[in-house]
Amino acid sequence: MKTDKPLRVAHLNPAYFSPDSYVGGGERYVDYLMQSLQTVGGFEQVLFSMGKEDQFFLRDGIPIRVLRNESSHPGMTNAVSAALWRELTDFDLVHVHQCLTLFGAYSTAIVRSLKIPMIGTDLGGGEDPQMLRGRGVGLLDGVVSISQYAHNLLGSFFKGPHEILIGPIDTERFRAGAARPPRDPRKLICVSRILPHKGIDRVIAALPEGLSLTIVGRVYHQQYYELLLGMAADKDIRFVLDADDSALLALYDAHGIFVQASTARDIYGNDVAKPELMGLTTLEAMSFGLPVVVSDAGSLPELVPDPRFGRVFSDVPTLAAILREVVAGSWPGPNAGDLARAHVVQHHGMETIGHRLADFYRRTLAGKNQ
Amino acid sequence: MRILFLTNLYPPVILGGYEIACAQTAEALKKRGHEVRVLTSWSHLPTPIEAADWVHRRLDLHWHIPHMPNLTYEVRELHSAVCSSYSNTLHLLNALTEFKPDIVSLWNMTGIGGLAMMDLLNYLDVPWAIYLGDRVPVDIAANVPEDVRGLFNAQGSRLYEKARIQSVSQNLLDEIEDHSGITFAHGADIVAGWADLSYAVPHGPYMPDGKARFVAASSISAHKGTDLIIEASVRLKDAGIHFSVDLLGEGDVPRYIDMVKRLHLQEHVRFIGQRSYPDLLRSYADYDAFLCPTWERDPFPFAPLGAAGCGTPPIITGNCGTSERLIDNVHCIKIDRTVDDLARAMMEVAAGQHDLAKMGRAGRRLVTSDLSFDRHLDRMETAFGEHMRPWNVSIDPTLPLLLFLKHNLSVRLRFG
Repeated sequence: MKTDKPLRVAHLNPAYFSPDSYVGGGERYVDYLMQSLQTVGGFEQVLFSMGKEDQFFLRDGIPIRVLRNESSHPGMTNAVSAALWRELTDFDLVHVHQCLTLFGAYSTAIVRSLKIPMIGTDLGGGEDPQMLRGRGVGLLDGVVSISQYAHNLLGSFFKGPHEILIGPIDTERFRAGAARPPRDPRKLICVSRILPHKGIDRVIAALPEGLSLTIVGRVYHQQYYELLLGMAADKDIRFVLDADDSALLALYDAHGIFVQASTARDIYGNDVAKPELMGLTTLEAMSFGLPVVVSDAGSLPELVPDPRFGRVFSDVPTLAAILREVVAGSWPGPNAGDLARAHVVQHHGMETIGHRLADFYRRTLAGKNQ
Repeated sequence: MRILFLTNLYPPVILGGYEIACAQTAEALKKRGHEVRVLTSWSHLPTPIEAADWVHRRLDLHWHIPHMPNLTYEVRELHSAVCSSYSNTLHLLNALTEFKPDIVSLWNMTGIGGLAMMDLLNYLDVPWAIYLGDRVPVDIAANVPEDVRGLFNAQGSRLYEKARIQSVSQNLLDEIEDHSGITFAHGADIVAGWADLSYAVPHGPYMPDGKARFVAASSISAHKGTDLIIEASVRLKDAGIHFSVDLLGEGDVPRYIDMVKRLHLQEHVRFIGQRSYPDLLRSYADYDAFLCPTWERDPFPFAPLGAAGCGTPPIITGNCGTSERLIDNVHCIKIDRTVDDLARAMMEVAAGQHDLAKMGRAGRRLVTSDLSFDRHLDRMETAFGEHMRPWNVSIDPTLPLLLFLKHNLSVRLRFG
């Protein structure tokens, strides 16, 4: 371990957060995680990702190295590159994101062959049988999980050092505008891709008179979108399908409660594996000072430990009951938004997560060198 | 030195000279006092009891014979043959752990999942050398997809960067580069073939009774030139030349017996079968010339050297590997690989146009000096000694897991 120089950490992720690559929660998470580590200092980071051709560029001061995908298997999480053999040799630590995918398994094999200490994180991209039942995760020196729920999925296969880091959230960016009028809790907002497992239909079904709902997100499932349009016909509901980042912030400012209704079984009867390993948008909404109502899917209940600013529902009747409390004015309380934000800043903010991640990296390296 | 030999085949199971050369080298280095272990595949033939403690026949052989297409061959088996066989890789790991060699000497790696084994040696930083008697790197590069090779750091020439490369001929190195682009950054030793003349006997008179007695010793097959020999024999017969051809070896014998019969050559061409190496050397004393119209890309047929060393001049394809070491009309008669040229050379011998005794003496001098077995062993010892270095014999207990992951990923990348 090089103690006199910054630790060099390589993050490996099959895609990076950009329209040129992929705009998804997993990519955004890695972006945030690297930013959080930058707040700590003492680390040099590079993000390695896969693409059609080799590229190198800087974003927010962090180098991003895109390697040519050599995989004969289609799909982002199946991307591989043997260039990792030469690109990684000088790093002290490698953090393999999406470790339960073909990308993750291939990267794990190479990093381990290079004898570089390695940490893995499941971002929900797969359930690679070789990494799980084949015990490939046993080659990792540590695991960072993005929720207790995510760690439970890995825990029966990996017994080594682990850390659960829910976040980070950019609490400076996701904060209410100074000129914001008082929030109206009767205005609900859902922010998610329009996909069946997001359970937006459940929110529409439970929405009582007296509340409005804004659904923000891109359509990834046309049939489901049309179903939602039909369900929404007689209610105070609008869709915003093309909000950019600044528009999204304005929408958060203009609403009173955030609802996240993801489900493990969608309206068509399909079971959904690993719904919401970490509800990033829920935390972002809380950072904005919005009380939240979340389903009991995946990690979502972990995000709202205090009913004063967060409620959990299991089905449509329960959600409907909570929403009737909103109509009646009995929930949320007047300081619920402040409590939500304070909770996120304290537990899920950039600096908090950055320091915990740095500490885990250092402990892992120390354990490896013993 | 503690030397671990790794080879797909080992006598009594052989395909050709490559395996014999491996065995001769291993046994001779053992006699020189080195601690030797051989890790190879099973034998279905009786094996010498005295070698049981140091020849470990534990590898599975995923049968694949290079350059001999088999349309029924399963691609999955091909993968195991050239890329990865998990059980074989584990056997190598166990051998490294138990035997703790100073160096590992690799020979033909085709058929036993050689790529994963070389990757393991690189991972452990074990000093290893590969004796190229055939185009093993081409077989791997051609039969393993790019993404799978990448898993083992085997794209381009990287797999061989830590290895000491020994090649029987420059011809073979050129062929490897031409067909795969693989080059060896640290160079390669040309360690030509040899002949162990321990069993040789003095050559008898040449062409007694005016009969030209030709012999060939190789697998009986088209690529070794059996067709050419038989077709040239027709020319000699039609010309009324007094001659005989004895074909030693195994292979597609029934086909060629029919060919000889169809061409009415039974009184001239005989199939003798396989002979032990000592018997083979002794038999050369009663022949006038050795026929070796092998294919041009034959890296280094060993048999012509044995014949030359026994005073039986080879008639040999001019651009095969062995020809790099022999001078035309001094040690041998070089030919283009055609029926015309082979028949011409055989007729010249039968007509007494070559001083066979003089050529035989020159061949013997060459083989007993520069191409002697002792010289070969010296070269091997020197190369091994130079390449040896300490390596960490303590094995990470999770290493089998890494090998397992790589093996299964290689299968998955290839077959989905």
